[in-house]
Amino acid sequence: MAAAVFAAGLSGIAAAQAATPANALVVAQSIDDAVSFDPAEGFELTTVQTFNNVYQRLVESDRKDGTKINPAIAGSWKPGIDGKSLEFEIRKDAVFASGNPVRPEDVIFSLTRAAKLNKSPAFILNELGWTADTVAGAISKIDDSHVRLTWTADVGPAFALALLTAPIASIVDEKVVSTHVTGDDFGNAWLKTNSAGSGAFVIAKYQPHEALVLAANARSAEKPKLATVILQNVPDAAARRLQVEKGDADVARGLGADQVDAIKKDGKLTVDAVPSARTDYILINSKASAELGNPAFWKAARYLVDYEGITRDLLRGQSDIHQAFLPVGFPGALKDNPYKLDVEKAKKILADAGIKTPLKLEFPVFKDQPFLSVAQSLQSTFAKAGIELDIQPGVASDIYARGRSGKYQITLRYWIPDYFDPHSNASAFAINKDNSANTVAKQAGWVIPELTTETLAAVKEQDPAKRVADYEKIQKQIQDESPFVFLYQGADQVVLGKNVKGYVQGLNADQVYYDGVSK
Amino acid sequence: MSFDQSEASRAAQPEIATSRRPQGRRYLFVLPGLASGIVSFAITLLALVLVTFAMTRLSPIDPALQLVGDHASQSSYQQARVELGLDQPLPVQLGIYLKRLLTGDLGVSLSTGQPVLSDIARTFPATVELATAAIVVASLVGVGLGILAVLKPGGAVDAIARFVSLVGFSTPIFWLGLLALLLFYARLGWLPGPGRLDVAYAYTVEAVTGFGIIDAFLSGQDGAVADASAHLVLPVLVLAFYGLGGIARLTRSALLDELGQDYVMVARAKGAGRARIVLVHALPNIVGPLLTVLALAYAHLLEGAVLTETVFAWPGIGRYLTTGMFAGDAPAVLGATIVVGTAFIFLNAMTDLAVGRLQKRRGR
Repeated sequence: MAAAVFAAGLSGIAAAQAATPANALVVAQSIDDAVSFDPAEGFELTTVQTFNNVYQRLVESDRKDGTKINPAIAGSWKPGIDGKSLEFEIRKDAVFASGNPVRPEDVIFSLTRAAKLNKSPAFILNELGWTADTVAGAISKIDDSHVRLTWTADVGPAFALALLTAPIASIVDEKVVSTHVTGDDFGNAWLKTNSAGSGAFVIAKYQPHEALVLAANARSAEKPKLATVILQNVPDAAARRLQVEKGDADVARGLGADQVDAIKKDGKLTVDAVPSARTDYILINSKASAELGNPAFWKAARYLVDYEGITRDLLRGQSDIHQAFLPVGFPGALKDNPYKLDVEKAKKILADAGIKTPLKLEFPVFKDQPFLSVAQSLQSTFAKAGIELDIQPGVASDIYARGRSGKYQITLRYWIPDYFDPHSNASAFAINKDNSANTVAKQAGWVIPELTTETLAAVKEQDPAKRVADYEKIQKQIQDESPFVFLYQGADQVVLGKNVKGYVQGLNADQVYYDGVSK
Repeated sequence: MSFDQSEASRAAQPEIATSRRPQGRRYLFVLPGLASGIVSFAITLLALVLVTFAMTRLSPIDPALQLVGDHASQSSYQQARVELGLDQPLPVQLGIYLKRLLTGDLGVSLSTGQPVLSDIARTFPATVELATAAIVVASLVGVGLGILAVLKPGGAVDAIARFVSLVGFSTPIFWLGLLALLLFYARLGWLPGPGRLDVAYAYTVEAVTGFGIIDAFLSGQDGAVADASAHLVLPVLVLAFYGLGGIARLTRSALLDELGQDYVMVARAKGAGRARIVLVHALPNIVGPLLTVLALAYAHLLEGAVLTETVFAWPGIGRYLTTGMFAGDAPAVLGATIVVGTAFIFLNAMTDLAVGRLQKRRGR
């Protein structure tokens, strides 16, 4: 009541409410995850989705078909005869937002600092054998417009190119960054909140937990259509929905299935469903007990998931059933989904293997939605076969820590590829020779020397058709015989104002592009 | 003022006492008070730091893993642990923190990558702005409702006051916030939506003081002050609505209590009307407890109203503290706790002082 009286009295003040400014795109989303806008460090959704707009790499994944690699800073490239090097020609017109031309020195500086800083995404460069200790000398200047990359790892140039499409391979302006170096941080502290790239935008302003403002880079080869992109931190999804419905935001991300349904029904906004490369899976710790180490249990679990119910009723439009570790859109991805909910079959498999029920299992799950709802669905279907899942909601780092230390029984996880190559996922699920490297297979306590050899052979394979066949075979084996139960592949629902044109989002997490957006 | 002769004679007593005391001794009398105040403040703060530190370390969140994520290599993870000092024994970590703290260095937040001090300089004013406006509205409306309720117990206003207290007390605040947004922002369009400023101003108004309205004023932009004020209205009303229930109830019950006292009967016998008795005789006597409750409510708001700040995308200290907590961001949590704790202790001391003064003036 009092509120109504006050609001009525003050309504005159709020006259300046209208649509968003014509030359700006206002995106309502949560940016609370952002830790660092330094491409050598940033590995959160918000920062990774910014890198394509602020930085360029030598080469980039095609926006629509990520399997294609396009020129970016490099106009052309050729593999060395040794099969372990690449020579890039830097485009003559490649220029940073500062006006400095892109030089071989910038490439050397950027890739070297990324390996030396050894932050979260450094493992991508480790795939080439580049580490803090070994990267020196791996990248060298040929002449003023040519640079050579060499590596020691047993991988071919095609794979190396795929790695170079990852955000960590972004090229930063050495001349600018070197004026902001403190100690031996290679400018990391400064780049956390500033930009020094050659992308379509520059970071104009960043206020943590508040907003990220990108301004058009006037020197960009292809000028962005809008002058400003504002990522506004609106942590509450319901508030985001109101804002985009009201026209105070042009784009809203991360809305729940219910909210998107309502918006679709209303019909005043566009809902763009973008397939994402994210796959969700159940992870079973085969070392936790004799039952969990029994392949029959893994098999039974595959029949205890209501795949259809979860995707249809819980994730409505935000996921599709998918039962292999390579997401659809990646070369070699298996598209058939052989498993369905079949409690009787699961019971029989358990009984035949002598696994006694009832069985009570700890089930740590991310405390957020939709994980909890999915966990509840799994709880009810597993219970039908006498397996009681004790849901324990937790924060991400706690769940990861339990995975790493092997202190869990069964859990629900997701995987997003780090670069556009099948190996990004295969290296997680199909490599564990002797529990030495931190892979998902290792977290499952699943030792697979033969599969590891096959996987390492696949990444080396130079014949694309043979390589695809290799990954199909590996996936099939994992689909049927591993302690992982792949459930579904995500789809990002982005809500856009009807006047927003040219928004592009690709399959991989980093593929968000604002340069072509107009209103 | 309030009731007559005895009041005057009581108020006179302390004055006589102080005037008898020589100046030098009076000075000496204040000094130990101040010193003991500072010492007790320091001890409280230290205890607060110790408890918070222990809690950040005992929580199941691994800050290094939170920072590097699950895909990172073991070597990146180990490096992060070393960089964060997590490889050191706990007492050493605490020692390093305390040593830095003495030089005013609160460290760097893991989740924002910024010095905690600058994060707090940004987020605390946002909360202070919200909390201050909310407590002013809540006090005025709450006390007003309480008085009106007492003037006519069982009447319409009393019913409304009780209803408002009940709703304010029992409604989840984020729901109230969303409802307010839905009604006044989305449906009626009277007030702006989430955030502190419209995008037209948001990124051109420089954060000089951290207080939205003041910064808007300093920017000199047309309409910026009005916009900043308008953005404040909904979250302030929601917070005030939430707080005024308790204030109204306390005002009502304390006043009713006073009305049962002997002096009220005397006043009534003298022929004073109910309004005069309530406003002139009883009300001044409940200022002490009321002040204590208001100060507590204000201190509580200064901790940051996390849910309100979340719904209204208000970048205050409550959200900073909570997001920091979930990210295992010990420097942020510790820094924010120290600031909020200091504000709390300070506010408490000020209230004690004010209530003490008041009691002295009014006689016990």
